[in-house]
Amino acid sequence: MIICPNCKAQETDGAIFCSECGTQLAQPDSAQTQKFANDTEELRSEIFYVDDGPNQGSTWITLHLLETGDIFPISERDEFTLGRLSENQPIEPDIDLTPFKAFDNGVSRLHAVIRRNKGNAVVVDLGSSNGTYVNGLRIMPNIEQPLRHGDIVALGKLKMQIVMS
Amino acid sequence: MSNRPDFYALLGLPRSATPEDIRRSYLKAAKRLHPDTNVGPGETELFLDVQLAYQTLSDPAQRSAYNSTLPPEEETSSVIDQQILISRTELSRTQESQLVYLLVKLSPNKKFIETASSVPLNVCIALDCSTSMNGVKLDIVKATAIQLIHKLKPQDIFSVVSFSDRAEVVIPASRQNSALKMGNRIQHLQTSGGTEILQGLQASLEEVRRFKNPNYINHIILLTDGHTYGDEKPSYELAQAAKEENIGISGLGIGSGWNDVFLDRLASSTGGHTMLVSQPDDIERLLTEKFADLSQTFSENVSFDYEIADGVEISYAFRLQPETSPIVIETPLQLGPIRRNWALSVLFEFRIKPQTLQNDNFSLIHGRLEIYSASLSMPIPPIPIEIRLSVVDNVVIETPPPILVQALSKLTLYRMQEKARREIAAGNLNSGANQLQKLATRLLAQGERNLAKTIMLEIEHIERDKNFSEHGEKQIKYGTRALFLPEERTL
Repeated sequence: MIICPNCKAQETDGAIFCSECGTQLAQPDSAQTQKFANDTEELRSEIFYVDDGPNQGSTWITLHLLETGDIFPISERDEFTLGRLSENQPIEPDIDLTPFKAFDNGVSRLHAVIRRNKGNAVVVDLGSSNGTYVNGLRIMPNIEQPLRHGDIVALGKLKMQIVMS
Repeated sequence: MSNRPDFYALLGLPRSATPEDIRRSYLKAAKRLHPDTNVGPGETELFLDVQLAYQTLSDPAQRSAYNSTLPPEEETSSVIDQQILISRTELSRTQESQLVYLLVKLSPNKKFIETASSVPLNVCIALDCSTSMNGVKLDIVKATAIQLIHKLKPQDIFSVVSFSDRAEVVIPASRQNSALKMGNRIQHLQTSGGTEILQGLQASLEEVRRFKNPNYINHIILLTDGHTYGDEKPSYELAQAAKEENIGISGLGIGSGWNDVFLDRLASSTGGHTMLVSQPDDIERLLTEKFADLSQTFSENVSFDYEIADGVEISYAFRLQPETSPIVIETPLQLGPIRRNWALSVLFEFRIKPQTLQNDNFSLIHGRLEIYSASLSMPIPPIPIEIRLSVVDNVVIETPPPILVQALSKLTLYRMQEKARREIAAGNLNSGANQLQKLATRLLAQGERNLAKTIMLEIEHIERDKNFSEHGEKQIKYGTRALFLPEERTL
């Protein structure tokens, strides 16, 4: 028996997603994370986790665009999409990266989403054309990839560092 | 390979075939290729090769002499590339149920896509002409049908049946009819009466049968906007009969008043699928696409004949592509078509009861995939499938293949929708609405805002009317199904 971490539903052993709320139960990225742990050895010393709850309303994550030095602190929402605005687009991203050469850098209109999940941050690629990279490794679309303080996320070629607070 | 054909490939058999297998395959091939019945160029020559193959292989001495001249089996290229992914390799010896997921992907080998000939169509359109179709719906259907007539290739066979409470053959199945004459007949279609799908199916099946040919893609496209009453069961039986004759059925449901559950089961039992036409304007695009897809067929249908271990059930089967559709659980399973430009992918969920795990090794399922193809002159050898898992006391949590996880993440959303429908149909409005709420949350997280919005509106509707709206119910079902559509079609 597996208990869903999100909605506490009981799922049959071997289930990969919660049939009740759709949360992913088995984390397939654990093996991959270990594989490139060596590359980020020096970053690991800085890892710390954010508590859920008391921080509500204050900035929990900041995106630091490496090329231009711009900073996006995020406080109100637990989840935000990244992309670029264009005409006739039905779904608009929460953070529009157009001013930062999003198009030239290969950012899709709806590229990725970053969300808070039990005090940890995760990034999910939304099936973008040029992919999302975490510390240089491309992630699978539509699958949650945990983020740590100091990780470099690239949307296409647009790079940003994750600062957790 | 040498000029001499590989006798085993010719008969569609593995090297290990038994004499009985050889005899059966020979009879099947001979029936199809006999000079009295064959139609394609070069088939008489092929018939002679098949004769020679049978003569050689049916005699044990000649067979072993022939075998020694063959290259090792691995070197012969297979027609179908297969990929099989499984969520776990170990089962736990536990007192609980366990789930195993399996993804089977079949794509045509590149080499064979080139050699496969383009297959002519033998298609009948069964058109609902009940009173509710009157107006813009029928006008667009007429216009599209006329366009399609102009796109037909000379060897294609085309027919149109209109039905309401009775069926009428508007264009009888034939080749190279005058496009003008056919167009005129379609223009004169008028609406009357109710919807009796069985009537339409019967007449369409008759038309397709008249020119039924193993070298053609034999298919019925049913367009309807209404419910059929009382003839569901004979309709399913008719679909079964059609499947046995390699005739596929697809459904296009127009608007919201049609019975998607009925049409889904009808179509998927032949390896076909259903589509939602939410606006009349979409009829043209969907019908044209359907024709284009049919002419890209590599295999009309893959059938999976299997035996499953005691205490194991296939609890869910779903075709991810092409033509996303749930699959009716039966033996054999009709998995659906392989297109030249679009591989077949099917996801299975197995539920294993605890008491069955005695040995250290567990055979989950074994069987063979029979791939029927009109585009190749030679039959494709059946692909054996056997999935074995080891049974251990303490399972190490395995990392399922990312492709499988990705497919499952989408399928989970589709199944949440199904669950909500079941709950609401059973009168559990609150839990159904809850389920929809969770689905909307998931979709928002994935950036699917339009669909999420549709669901939120539907939740309001359910609270007000104590039931789904027919429109919303279908929008949500086909919306979650459309999540599987790739941006580009790839093998």
